[in-house]
Amino acid sequence: MFKNWKIILAIFVILLLTINLTGLAQDQIVIALQGEPTTLDPQFADDGNMRPVSDNVFDKLLVLDGKTLQPIPCLAIEWERVSDITWQFTLRENVKFHNGEPFTAEDAVYSVKRIIDPTFNSQIAGNFSTIKDAKIINSNTILIITNGPDPILLKRLTLLDIVNKKYTESSPNNIINTKPVGTGPYQVIEWNRGEEIKIEKFNGYWGQKPNIQNVTYRFIQENSTRLAALKAGEINLAVNMLPEYLEQLPSYKTANSIEFYFLRFNTIRGIMQNKLIRQAVNYAIDKEAIVEALFLGSAAPARGQLAKEAYFGFNKNLDAYAFNPEKAKELLKEAGYKGEVVQLISERGRWMKDGEISEAVASMISDVGINVKLTFLSWQQWLDTLFNLEKAPDIMFSSNGNELFDMDRFYQAIIKTGGPQSAYSNPDIDKKIDAARNEMDPVKRQAMYEELAQLVYDDPFGVPLINLKSIWGISKDLEWEPREDGRMLISEMSLK
Amino acid sequence: MKRYIILRLLYTIVVIFGVSILVFIITHVIGNPVNTMLPLQATDAERIALSHKLGLDKPILIQLLDFLKSVIRLDFGNSWWQQIPALGIVLKRIPATLILVFFAFVLAFVLALPIGIIAAYKSGTIIDRFFTNISLVGICFPPFWVALMLILFFSVRLGWFYTSGYGTLKHAVLPIVTLAFVPMGHLIQIIRSSMAEQLNSQYIITARAKGVNEKVILFGHALKNAATSIVTMFGFDLGRYLAGETAAVEVVFGWPGIGMLIVDTIGKQDFPLLQAEVFTVAFVICLINLITDISYAFFDPTIKY
Repeated sequence: MFKNWKIILAIFVILLLTINLTGLAQDQIVIALQGEPTTLDPQFADDGNMRPVSDNVFDKLLVLDGKTLQPIPCLAIEWERVSDITWQFTLRENVKFHNGEPFTAEDAVYSVKRIIDPTFNSQIAGNFSTIKDAKIINSNTILIITNGPDPILLKRLTLLDIVNKKYTESSPNNIINTKPVGTGPYQVIEWNRGEEIKIEKFNGYWGQKPNIQNVTYRFIQENSTRLAALKAGEINLAVNMLPEYLEQLPSYKTANSIEFYFLRFNTIRGIMQNKLIRQAVNYAIDKEAIVEALFLGSAAPARGQLAKEAYFGFNKNLDAYAFNPEKAKELLKEAGYKGEVVQLISERGRWMKDGEISEAVASMISDVGINVKLTFLSWQQWLDTLFNLEKAPDIMFSSNGNELFDMDRFYQAIIKTGGPQSAYSNPDIDKKIDAARNEMDPVKRQAMYEELAQLVYDDPFGVPLINLKSIWGISKDLEWEPREDGRMLISEMSLK
Repeated sequence: MKRYIILRLLYTIVVIFGVSILVFIITHVIGNPVNTMLPLQATDAERIALSHKLGLDKPILIQLLDFLKSVIRLDFGNSWWQQIPALGIVLKRIPATLILVFFAFVLAFVLALPIGIIAAYKSGTIIDRFFTNISLVGICFPPFWVALMLILFFSVRLGWFYTSGYGTLKHAVLPIVTLAFVPMGHLIQIIRSSMAEQLNSQYIITARAKGVNEKVILFGHALKNAATSIVTMFGFDLGRYLAGETAAVEVVFGWPGIGMLIVDTIGKQDFPLLQAEVFTVAFVICLINLITDISYAFFDPTIKY
């Protein structure tokens, strides 16, 4: 038996001797994502882990300005609205794909048509549902035709990645998924499933050359392991850090995320049909306390709507219902509330502190005298409940992310009668939502959304709770400023 | 013996079929995978289109029949997530888990054997109690916690090993040590108790009375007769570990084994992949049970099949 001990000891010693503590190389960085992307075909799906990679590999016709969220040129250098439903785009010339093919009008049109093709079944096709067709005018000019007037076409196009027609058509599906070809500043070298994705600087890139040569993406699901890896100097950037980690992180950056937590009322059936009770719930919740105590300041109270300043349709005159338990109790009395059970359905584990905030909210609601019954469902059950109006509880905890930074999506999905997540119904409001969707005059359209925001505030659809902040842990030598749209562009990073 | 093995293999097929049907039912009851796959903002039309593409709009019995056919052909179809054959994905992840489990069990066994024997030999003394407590510690500490403590100390503080990842020895040491804790605890206890039982039995007393060498008594008689229970425990733990019990540890260390794959797959509700995983896992467990049972005959000549 002692022989074994010596062998183990010997192995251990050899192991220690062979360990070389090399630091990270100068021109390369390692980024830890929370999970493995499902695919790197950015036209097919988007799971939150893909964009940090694909945004560096693919260009779009337009991109958003990192601060103002206004569309600015990328592969399209000029554009013009020819008619209510037709837009003309002039394309950038001398752009090369990673496989050496030149970027042409054919690729742009193909990319548009591919994503709206029902047989392709893109999981993000909903972003482009207003697009009807695309046509080539000449080698560097294309037309995009919409079904009706679409005031947010330009913003939609910032989500549409341009792929190479020849490569995409000739390669089998699983190659496009793992080794995509775009025109972006970085090209994919390899993807070892389960382990890492490597990308490197593309020398034929049309724009300004980035500083960093190589990037490795690792997938570390466990938050505390990402933190440990950062502290141990193995990685330069860790996504989705918790507020509790701030003091331990070598350095960090925060930015308002696109996620808004909110409660949705079932205004169609049950006790929450009563507007006064809905208002009472709004008065009962202390959002400031949630922000400070639960999120340690890494969140902001929502301003009475699921939007922040930069969103189109934000109503700056609104503010959250004040925390006023007395007023809530008065409203309940006025409503004739007699202690009926109010269901609150939530889930935990999907979003940061979703379970904790649900518990806090439930106890605040019950403090004003509402007999609230909080139930946690598994993610799958929760989804089934969310999308099925028949199953809609009185109150449901949910989160909303708006990638288009335009309020159309919110009203279509959550407010309009029959919208996929809607438990609200008001024919008047429905008409206004549809009118706003097709209004091409931005000033009028803004006014329409401001009116809508006020309407669903006064006759509450729910309680807008908080806007989360994203926290990125970064190493001391990495320089980077996060963008308002949350995209992680390596070309905006550099090493000290 | 031959007849026994054939019977057991038939039994294995029944078990795998049963487990597969059970998983089919459970996966179809927990919720519509289309909701998980599409973004929250997706429209109803998109949900219906995807249901149709995945064949989820067919009657449930037809889906079940299709699925059973796929089990027989060993072709589970393409993973919805990776769009390549599901069984291939699972098989590719097995070596990573195998490495962890193999070395963890070697480590556990090498540590547990002398400790268990000494504890049994010194039964009732302070040494015995000390080692029994060590084994309890091994069993009671949750692996994910052990993992985080090891990472904090050996990776962050000392910088000896990587916190996470896959590829070199520096990546593998901490997960292996973490995984060794529980089987080590189990093995110490089972070795101690079965050895102690043997050492107190009549034939050992007789052997001692005859003046047989103490080494021969310990290793030649007691250990060999205690082997069946040790092997049972070993096989039981081994099966569990190869079947995804390593998931928590793999997730904490970002180790691309089958445990992490299972966790990912459940989250994504990728039915074909999940079914391929369950099939593989059920097969591995049955195989290990079979090997364990056959090994009894080797250690105990009174067992005949």
